[in-house]
Amino acid sequence: MRVTLLIAWREYMENVKTKGFWIGVLLVPIVFFLIFHVSSRLATATPTRYYLLIDQSGDYAAAVETAIRREHQRRVMQDFMRYLQENRRNADAVSFRAEPASQLNQLLDSYDNDEVAALDQWLSSGGLDYALTMAQPYLRDDAPDFSEPRPQFVAATLPPEVDPDADPQTVAGQLRPYLNGERRINVDGDSASLFALILIPEDVDQDIVRPATIQGLMTPDEGPRGVQYWAGNLTDTRLSGAIQNSINSAIRQQEYASQGIDIAAVRNVQRTRLPLSRLDPGKEAGEEAVSLADTFRQWAPMGFVYLIFISLMQSVQYLLSNTIEEKSNRIIEVLLASVTPGELMMGKLLGIGITGITTILAWIGSFFIFIRLYQTVETAMIVQVLDVLLSSDLIPYFVFYYLCCYALYAGIFLAIGSLCNTLKEAQSLMMPLMAVLVVPILTMSFIAQDPNGTLARVMSWIPLFTPFTMMNRAAAQPPMVDVVGTTIVLVLTTAAVLWLSGRVFRQGILRSGQPPRIIELWRMLRRSAS
Amino acid sequence: MSTPVLELTDVSKCYGNFTAVNKINISIPQGSVYGFLGPNGAGKTTTIRMILDILRPDEGQIQVLGANSAMKVRDRIGYLPEEKGLYKKMKVWAIIAYFATLKGMSRRQAKDKAYTLLEKYGLHDFANASVESLSKGMGQKVQVLSSIAHDPELVILDEPFSGLDPVNQEVLEQLIRDLAANGQTVIFSTHVMQHAERLCERLLLITQGSKVFDGTVDEARAIIPRRIVLETRDDINPIRSLAGVLSVQEHPVDDDTRLPGTRQWELYVKEQTDPQLILQHCFESGVSLSRFDFTQASLHDVFVHLVGQDAREHNFR
Repeated sequence: MRVTLLIAWREYMENVKTKGFWIGVLLVPIVFFLIFHVSSRLATATPTRYYLLIDQSGDYAAAVETAIRREHQRRVMQDFMRYLQENRRNADAVSFRAEPASQLNQLLDSYDNDEVAALDQWLSSGGLDYALTMAQPYLRDDAPDFSEPRPQFVAATLPPEVDPDADPQTVAGQLRPYLNGERRINVDGDSASLFALILIPEDVDQDIVRPATIQGLMTPDEGPRGVQYWAGNLTDTRLSGAIQNSINSAIRQQEYASQGIDIAAVRNVQRTRLPLSRLDPGKEAGEEAVSLADTFRQWAPMGFVYLIFISLMQSVQYLLSNTIEEKSNRIIEVLLASVTPGELMMGKLLGIGITGITTILAWIGSFFIFIRLYQTVETAMIVQVLDVLLSSDLIPYFVFYYLCCYALYAGIFLAIGSLCNTLKEAQSLMMPLMAVLVVPILTMSFIAQDPNGTLARVMSWIPLFTPFTMMNRAAAQPPMVDVVGTTIVLVLTTAAVLWLSGRVFRQGILRSGQPPRIIELWRMLRRSAS
Repeated sequence: MSTPVLELTDVSKCYGNFTAVNKINISIPQGSVYGFLGPNGAGKTTTIRMILDILRPDEGQIQVLGANSAMKVRDRIGYLPEEKGLYKKMKVWAIIAYFATLKGMSRRQAKDKAYTLLEKYGLHDFANASVESLSKGMGQKVQVLSSIAHDPELVILDEPFSGLDPVNQEVLEQLIRDLAANGQTVIFSTHVMQHAERLCERLLLITQGSKVFDGTVDEARAIIPRRIVLETRDDINPIRSLAGVLSVQEHPVDDDTRLPGTRQWELYVKEQTDPQLILQHCFESGVSLSRFDFTQASLHDVFVHLVGQDAREHNFR
């Protein structure tokens, strides 16, 4: 036991000194932080797009401009709400909705319930200026100033050489160099690249498609129809979408008017909705409502499966590289004069196991530090969810399946390592096992959606998949027979694998030359058994 | 003679159809320096691995320090394998201390001992260097030190001199003498006969897995007859017929400074023959000599004599 612990300690200390370990420890939190931070900042970082709107019909320019302005105001409002939630006095995610109703809460409430109504209210009451004045007394003293998001779309000035009333083809032809980036357009004295040209021909109304005129679509192609949207960028569809929506909305309003329908009534009808309450029959009476935390709890096992998988992959690297180092450097022979192969193997399993656990603890630790230091609306929600998670029974499941999964796979990988002299040799032996390991990851989301279905149940009984599958099912109260049965099979298999690996390890560790073929492996197992 | 430290009785080991070690018997007394000689592939390393219980013999008994398995007395044995290797990233003192702790020393003791040894054998400046920064020879010295740090009663060194420069070979020879002076038993295998000649009290010579000699260095030398090399332009028939001369062989002379017609002769003589008599006979018979060498058989000669043919045939396993 003493030497096993000594070997484990050395393995651990040497592993935590490697660059790879620290990359592993730091990379995950950094990637997490970047995803979190960058994705929330990315929206505001999108460059401003300059467009030209030439409305020869004269009917739609106002609608388009209104729609673009309104979209900008919506983003201002959205950012402001976020700013408000983050910088409010006693900004406690749990309590802010419970405070006595104020104008502010009203605004927040209506924002949560009906964004369209909230935007109307926002615009009618005076937009950002009004909101800032109103919110001022409620902001924390150290709250930063609110920075208004940049407008996404800005109208450019028409170049003087272009005649807006000319034939659409001519206009497009004249503006082509601007659209291709060969020339730059003037925007309030500065030059900028033209993102898009929206050309609404004079006779655009002829192209309106009504259900009754659907056949019109079948007429032979006679060039572009309807509104012409010229842009080299095909991936950013926000502007084209906004234009299409605003023009269609304007057309529909005309249609309503022409058919004598009250537009205000239609708008109201369109916003009518019936909420859907998600209820969980498994919960106590009166508590059935499914909260966000409940939903998260259902999906959390997938996170744990990922965690097991990533940690296992890291441990596998150590197991293989350390064993192969000892073999190829011939350290193994000195070791074997001092310790038994069994002690050596157990020491390695233990040391590398603790390395893996250290990594996971470091990840969890940095995650906690992150949500404490970086307080936003989202992290406040994560804290809530985490509290639910920690009080659930998922943690013991995770610990058990993590350990079993590690012991099971580490035993196999260690045996592989003992048979190979180079990582290259090991990789060819690892291939089948990696193929096996991909299966639980591929099936992960199917199992999460149907945790007690046939696929989930069958996979639970295959020991190599049991830790992943049962972890994934942990939140869905799997039948007791599955829990107990698969646990017994898993523990027995793990014990058997470790025992067999010990035999392969003992025989393989002093081998030199090519890794053995299956038949040789079988002979080795028999020889060591005798 | 005290109880043997190591005793092998009819020990054999086969790999498939290949017999690596064939019914070897050895008995090594305490405190001796024991040389383990043999050509490549003779079975030295396999025998050592069996002694250490890294490999199990197919037949025979092994008693090490009174136990039937080296594993039971592993803390009292030190081992340097033929193929040397260390953890590259570890510090020099740490690796010596690590192997010592595996042999039962406490961490503190092991660390102190590591520094003492590094100081004694001129590696103190490298104590905190990582192993990968050492030269091959220095790495090998570190490995030797890590095999003796726990003061083992029995030290087994497999080819300890290979890869060392002459200066470090002397350092290692001194280290082996120090161990022996300390009452520790040393077994080492080597190809270099001079080391064995200088260090060993007893020798074991094996070839093709079988023991061909086991005894003292003097006993080994006595195996092959004494030799006299002489060079002359005259007829040596008068000497050829002398009593005490066992055989005569002619060798080509590859020295241009000799007079034309000079021939070299190698005379094998009986153990008790006095070379002075031969020399006297040469004068009396008018054989004019340009060279007269009397040499005792070296271990090298014994080695070549005993295993030369096998070594040539079985150079590679």
